[in-house]
Amino acid sequence: TETIKAVVIDGYPARAMWVQEFTNFFIPEVDKRLAETGNYKMDWQESYGGSIVKPKGVLEGVKLGLGDIGIVTTIFHSSKLPSQALAAVTPFIAPDSRAVAKAVDEIAKEFPTMQKEFEAQNQVYLATGVVLDTYQVFSKDPIESLSALEGSKVAGAGMNLRYLEGIEGAAGVRGGLTDFYNMLQTGLVDNAMLWPEAAKTFKIAEVAPYMLKADLGAVNSKTITVNKDYWDGLPDEVKSVLQDVAVAYRDHVAGIAMDRAEASRAAYVESGGTVVEMDTAERAQWAQAMPNIAVEWAAGLDAKGEPGSDMLKAYMAKLSEAGFTPVRDWSAELTQ
Amino acid sequence: MTPFEIGTLSVIAIVVLVYLGVYIPIALGLVSFVSIILMRDNFDLAVNLLKIAIGDSVMEYTFATVPLFTFMGLIVSKAGLGADIYQVMNSGFKRVKGGIGMATVGANAVFAAVTGSSIASASVFSKVSVPQMLAFDYNPRFAVGVVAGSSVLGMIIPPSAMLIIYSFVAEQSVGDMFLAGVVPGLMLAGAYVVAIFLMGRLTPDYVGGRPAEETEWMSPLEIADKTLPTLILIVAVLGGIYTGWLTPVEAGATGALLGLIIAAIRKKLTLQSAWQALLETGHITASILFLITAASIYSRMLGLAGLPNELGTLLTETQMTFFWIMVIYVAMMIFLGTILDTASIILIVVPLFLPLVEPMGLSLVWFGIITVVGAEIGLLTPPLGISCFVIKATLNDPRISLKDVFVGAFPFALVMLVVLIALIRWPSLSLAILN
Amino acid sequence: MLRLITSGVRALSSAANWVAIGANAIGTLIVLALVMVINYDVVARGFFNAPFRGAVEVVQFSMVLIVFLQLPDVVRTNRLTRSDGFLILLEASRPKLAATIRRVINTASAIFMALVAYAIWPEFLEMYETKDFFGVPGIFTAPWWPIKLAIYLSAVLCTLMFLLKVLVPDTKTGAAQPSEPSEDNA
Ligand code: NA
Ligand code: NA
Repeated sequence: TETIKAVVIDGYPARAMWVQEFTNFFIPEVDKRLAETGNYKMDWQESYGGSIVKPKGVLEGVKLGLGDIGIVTTIFHSSKLPSQALAAVTPFIAPDSRAVAKAVDEIAKEFPTMQKEFEAQNQVYLATGVVLDTYQVFSKDPIESLSALEGSKVAGAGMNLRYLEGIEGAAGVRGGLTDFYNMLQTGLVDNAMLWPEAAKTFKIAEVAPYMLKADLGAVNSKTITVNKDYWDGLPDEVKSVLQDVAVAYRDHVAGIAMDRAEASRAAYVESGGTVVEMDTAERAQWAQAMPNIAVEWAAGLDAKGEPGSDMLKAYMAKLSEAGFTPVRDWSAELTQ
Repeated sequence: MTPFEIGTLSVIAIVVLVYLGVYIPIALGLVSFVSIILMRDNFDLAVNLLKIAIGDSVMEYTFATVPLFTFMGLIVSKAGLGADIYQVMNSGFKRVKGGIGMATVGANAVFAAVTGSSIASASVFSKVSVPQMLAFDYNPRFAVGVVAGSSVLGMIIPPSAMLIIYSFVAEQSVGDMFLAGVVPGLMLAGAYVVAIFLMGRLTPDYVGGRPAEETEWMSPLEIADKTLPTLILIVAVLGGIYTGWLTPVEAGATGALLGLIIAAIRKKLTLQSAWQALLETGHITASILFLITAASIYSRMLGLAGLPNELGTLLTETQMTFFWIMVIYVAMMIFLGTILDTASIILIVVPLFLPLVEPMGLSLVWFGIITVVGAEIGLLTPPLGISCFVIKATLNDPRISLKDVFVGAFPFALVMLVVLIALIRWPSLSLAILN
Repeated sequence: MLRLITSGVRALSSAANWVAIGANAIGTLIVLALVMVINYDVVARGFFNAPFRGAVEVVQFSMVLIVFLQLPDVVRTNRLTRSDGFLILLEASRPKLAATIRRVINTASAIFMALVAYAIWPEFLEMYETKDFFGVPGIFTAPWWPIKLAIYLSAVLCTLMFLLKVLVPDTKTGAAQPSEPSEDNA
């Protein structure tokens, strides 16, 4: 039996759900599968929570060989990993982590673009993870319609601030998840976009007791990657075990995300929150009002000679095959 | 070499180099660089670690609090806010034995809420309070000791550069750290007042001094004039953070701007002195952040060596108790406190102990307060005690030697140790305000 | 010949010092800009419902500039954090040995800063070629390359500063005190 050392890095702490599942699911699963033949054995060194890299530094850490395997939070890297924004630029389709994880991962494997982007960062793509089921709008005041968002301040982060662009007078205020409670409490913002599990963790029900169930959609944010030089040195058996387990991990994590989302919604109601179902027509109106950032995204990739438009079409097709009807067909507006 | 051996050797190497007089960031960086080469036999990996740590550590948004609060502290010092608070306090405490000392502690506690550093406190109060104590025949050692001791409040009561640095290393929210510092800071101030009272009773000769015969009370208008600017700043900065209206960075910027406005209104600010304050801010920011960057290279090297994992295993194997971990921790901080500045101590010691403390389910916010108070003891201990140096340099009085300052500060260092033990024993002292 | 070298070193030294002082002045202005930008955002957001969406990136960007533009001047003015009590003691009894140790320390420091420059240069080239940015497209983005360039130039200048300290040691012994702000209020 040959022993192979593997340094796993993430900048998030060990208690973060996807990190915890890496320890409790990914690693034992790899060990188990390798033990079946007994040719190889892994010697894991897990370095999380900033001990080697910060959350934003995982991509570079794997690139530079400070970690062999990493959990890259892709939303930080709009510039190096533009194609990873796929789910973020296509809201109002699927509030389901499992479906989005599977669709994005298949796109990554059927089209060369995502893998090429990681390859340029000296790493090999294994699988996509989705840890948030869907963004919702949490509000201080009773909220039912889109007009309630007009002229209000809405806390958000990253790409989701662009969802507000079509709403009259709505101002997106950037903030970290940990700030949302205070921002709502003081009235710095009237609403916040976050997902139910985060709402539960940060006791959002206390300050924003109304959840507008807008189902903006699940977003991919985590990718498991392996340093290219390290990968090239791995035996084929280990490579294929890592690839298979990564896919299993993808589904495992997405499943947990969905279970937690359900439980979190229940907890939100229990602690005094009211869930208001957003009217279908209102959702459609919101989706219509937004700029088509999906087309912008595709055009950006097309311009670089990547099949952006085709990826967008294929992604929408995959989700509709899985039974999700988009509120707005982003790909229908493609010109190419 | 095992990770543990590398960790131990690197700490020893750093301490020796620092004692020899090597710049602290350079010592941290070079030792880390060499350690990686020894450990992995890979020059490129060592270069890569530099590459990732150098830009990364400075890019942290919350680090903007360092220049902002530094600038605010320098500006309010120039505006004379510290001196004003002291005069108000003094008019109240004058008739008590050791009263000017108590007033100094009280004024320091208030001034601490608008400045981020102990150095600012030490230099302001050695100018306004020491001469007055000497005029009332206080023992010079007692006089400088009070100023040295109470200057550490500047870094415990928020805003505080040290709480910011800890929050970065331990990944805690700056706002939480600030709030947690309030009660321990006030407690330390209270403990100093009690200690001065007891010293006045038990060793009146050591304290010296005579009470003022005539007491002229300040008019309410005068008191308002002298306290209002500080109160406005405290409400804006700490209130802004506490209510969530402002992030710590924004509170720092608001405080800096308000400080500028106050100084301008009071005509205490020339273009030249504002420029001086900005220049000073830049120097302090650069040296602190470069130190942090180097320390982050070092802690990442330890991470790469697998030391945190190793320490975790060691902890479960040896069943080391909370008590002994704390004894070792405090001893190590006091030892390093003899030669290192507070920031360096935090940056060197915390990465070693976090992996021990975190699995025990202890609050990292509480641990930060312990760390900052423990590391600040070093400001008062020889041979390198920065608060004492600043006081000596600011006074520039041949009658008071550096030794006098250290001797005078010693009782206050002991009080800090007692308070530190209480804070360790009762974590809720630090945490109650958060819940 | 020796005189030629000495005057060459002196010219280099004064040029490098001026560059450091200039960079320092720019860094100083950025501190002021930082105060203003954040206050603008606070007011615009709080009173006019119009937050400045690039505040975070601008703050990050300025932090790098403040630190690395000021660092050479920190080195120049002997204010880099250190604890040289031992050296000062040694100077009294063995001045030559102390001077040698100072030289060795400054050489080692120059080597370290040169390593930093060596590590960052390829990063700068890569960022410059790929036009890589940080931030969120459509919200606010800023390019990486000026940051890498600032770090690189700063590291080079610091290397030079340390080397000059080796070649032209401080005439005043024990010049370095731990950094203290000069307070002039009363
Ligand atoms: Na303070
Ligand atoms: Na000390």
